[in-house]
Amino acid sequence: MTGIKALLGITLLAGLAACGDSTPNFVADARPARLSEWGLFELSADRLAPLPALEVVRPANPLFTDYAHKLRTLWIPDGTQATLVNNEINYPVGTILSKTFYYPSDADGNVVKVVDNGAREIDLGAARLIETRVLVKQSGGWDALPYVWNDDETEAFLRVAGASRSLSMVDAAQPDAPATQFAYFVPNENQCSGCHTTEHPDGGMHPLGAIASQLTASAHDAAGEFRPQVDTLVARGWLDTAPTGPALASFEDLSLGLETRALAYLNMQCGHCHNPKGAADTSGLVLTGKHATRVSTGVCKPPVAAGGGAGDLQYGIVPGDPDASILHYRLASTKPDEMMPELGRSLVHAEGVALVREWIGSLSGACGAEPPLSSAAD
Amino acid sequence: MPSLFTFADRPSYSPTSARSRRALAAAIAFGVTVTACAPDEPVMPELSFEEALQEQLITAQPGDVIEIPAGVHEMTRSLSLNAPGVTIRGQGIDVSVLSFKNQIQGAEGLLVNADDFALEDLAIEDTVGDALKINESENVIVRNVRTEWTGGPLTTNGAYGIYPVQSKNILIDGAVAIGASDAGIYVGQSTQIIVRNSRAEYNVAGIEIENSTFADVYNNVATNNTGGILVFDLPNLPVQGGRNTRVFDNEVVSNNVDNFAPEGNIVGTVPAGTGMMVLANDSIEIFGNRFADNQTTSVMVVSYLINGLPLDDPNYDPFPEAIYIHDNNFESGGENPDFEALAMLSEATGQPVPHVVWGGAIMPDADGNPSKTASDILCLGEGGMTFSNLDAMNGFAAPSFDLSPHLCEQPRLQEIILPNDLAGAE
Repeated sequence: MTGIKALLGITLLAGLAACGDSTPNFVADARPARLSEWGLFELSADRLAPLPALEVVRPANPLFTDYAHKLRTLWIPDGTQATLVNNEINYPVGTILSKTFYYPSDADGNVVKVVDNGAREIDLGAARLIETRVLVKQSGGWDALPYVWNDDETEAFLRVAGASRSLSMVDAAQPDAPATQFAYFVPNENQCSGCHTTEHPDGGMHPLGAIASQLTASAHDAAGEFRPQVDTLVARGWLDTAPTGPALASFEDLSLGLETRALAYLNMQCGHCHNPKGAADTSGLVLTGKHATRVSTGVCKPPVAAGGGAGDLQYGIVPGDPDASILHYRLASTKPDEMMPELGRSLVHAEGVALVREWIGSLSGACGAEPPLSSAAD
Repeated sequence: MPSLFTFADRPSYSPTSARSRRALAAAIAFGVTVTACAPDEPVMPELSFEEALQEQLITAQPGDVIEIPAGVHEMTRSLSLNAPGVTIRGQGIDVSVLSFKNQIQGAEGLLVNADDFALEDLAIEDTVGDALKINESENVIVRNVRTEWTGGPLTTNGAYGIYPVQSKNILIDGAVAIGASDAGIYVGQSTQIIVRNSRAEYNVAGIEIENSTFADVYNNVATNNTGGILVFDLPNLPVQGGRNTRVFDNEVVSNNVDNFAPEGNIVGTVPAGTGMMVLANDSIEIFGNRFADNQTTSVMVVSYLINGLPLDDPNYDPFPEAIYIHDNNFESGGENPDFEALAMLSEATGQPVPHVVWGGAIMPDADGNPSKTASDILCLGEGGMTFSNLDAMNGFAAPSFDLSPHLCEQPRLQEIILPNDLAGAE
């Protein structure tokens, strides 16, 4: 067996430079073994806080990750600026995005399912840190680095092969319900690209949250002002021009119609693979909300290579009948070979499934007959 | 300042640690802040074999050979490779085993998105989903690799054993695929393909070439599957128009296992006892094979329409054309068909189902008449087998047993030569 590659050597210098700095450390092509070497956070015994130089951001339509809360930061090096190209944000080399996954926790060591209101720092006395993913713009493109927090919450280490954590979750809305045991999976670097490479196989990785349509959504900035986040970036001089066009629709936005919300949900959770150039184009199922044909949306579409994921069902979507629809079945499954998305969750996103269920139930129409070429032995 | 911040006595995470942490936070009254430069740095975690292997796969450079030692190696999560030019090599098809029987994450055993890839001399067992999926890769060799579900043919087994899709220049040589609930060796939406010297057993489909072009399938054994060898073309996929596949010198014997595919999957419609099925593909040459004891029929040639599934794809041709079946050795079979129309046919004639059956559908022209002749669709060389045109599009009303319209030849197809097949063809 060849030796495990030494990932760690090149980064020592960066780590030393971190002490006392007020801005993060970008080192070209570095892959530090320790999160602290990036110098993104102030860590004390009771809180993890982004450096004041960082911008805390929040996308319009977030991915579901087993109800984990997410603290997302953006930093663009001094003297550089992102530019708007084809109405998308083109970040300069040295840009560092981070996303820290954590859970509120209770006194018994359970993690707590509760709505993520977008805290700007993490109170370690009432939270458990899991992982911090760093996406850094190098001259060759975006590089994804998954860091996993140690149990002491004193450091997060680069784990290119990912990791898993056994967690016990209680639901703040149902305090008497028993805790749910589950395995939280930190993706490995290849799995990172599974979502962040939306054009397979030759497209590069790119952010999914810190993009124009996501950051056009308003949020509170550091001074407490509620405004489009892209305007905050322009005001800081980090972005030359604000993008035009609406913010991405959010499945959580109850002012939107049912279909709009359902398609927004599928677009965000599924569209990074299920698009015409994505890793899941082999299935012929397109869930970006932009469809060439009805059948490519899944309506009356037989499965191609779903295996047990088909759940003994005939079609992706049977209008009006979510229980007969493979799409609903796979969103509601937690079996690794059946569930969709394949990555990023061990639990069912109950609120998302309920939305898709309601939407399928609202569709009218029907699918074709049973196939006549079926085994006589059946 | 950092000396105040010594975590040596800080508790590990435990049910009480949140409380402990708060107590500790209160003790450090002045809220010491560091950007993590503590001199006694936290210790890097040890990696398991599984984690170390996955790390190797991620950090591999072109030309690397990643060796899998002898033994059974338990894997709990999917492995994946995105780096080009990598060879993963074990010490033998039964010697180096990656066992996924305790898999808790991932839809595959090994997922590959990498050009110039080779996998050799190992086994992948008991994955929850597909055993080996190779997506959008060019120049792929799978040699002396076994994929197996060790509990036998179960519906709960993963769908595919060896599964290259949307790939090019694929050599599968000396593989063994057992127990897939869809197809043991399944090449989909790909081009320039060789599957040879391999064995497929106890799968729903032994070997399946789907929505693919330019494939040679030879010197394989397909036995004890539901269907031995399938050549399919399906609608509504980004790659379709399957054609130019040669299936020759294979042993296609006793493929009579009850169909155990999960419902809804297209192979779930394949009757047990099918030696070979050609569905909607064009320019297929089938020769030099031995068909024996396939109890529905040796070779079935049908259109997609026979499935009765809704068809919403103007770019899709559901009809097989230019199928050339010659110089095969047809032995027993067709005696216990698992397909109602064929069972009725057999009962009516008092004979086994013929060796070759054709659904009979031909693409209609603008006036609704057949746009092609029977010999454009199916040629049987000089005959030497029994045959039926099932008249399937008319509800099997008037099946014919006359093979004279099919005593014809089609152009021979060219041998597939792959740039990554250094040994070359036989």
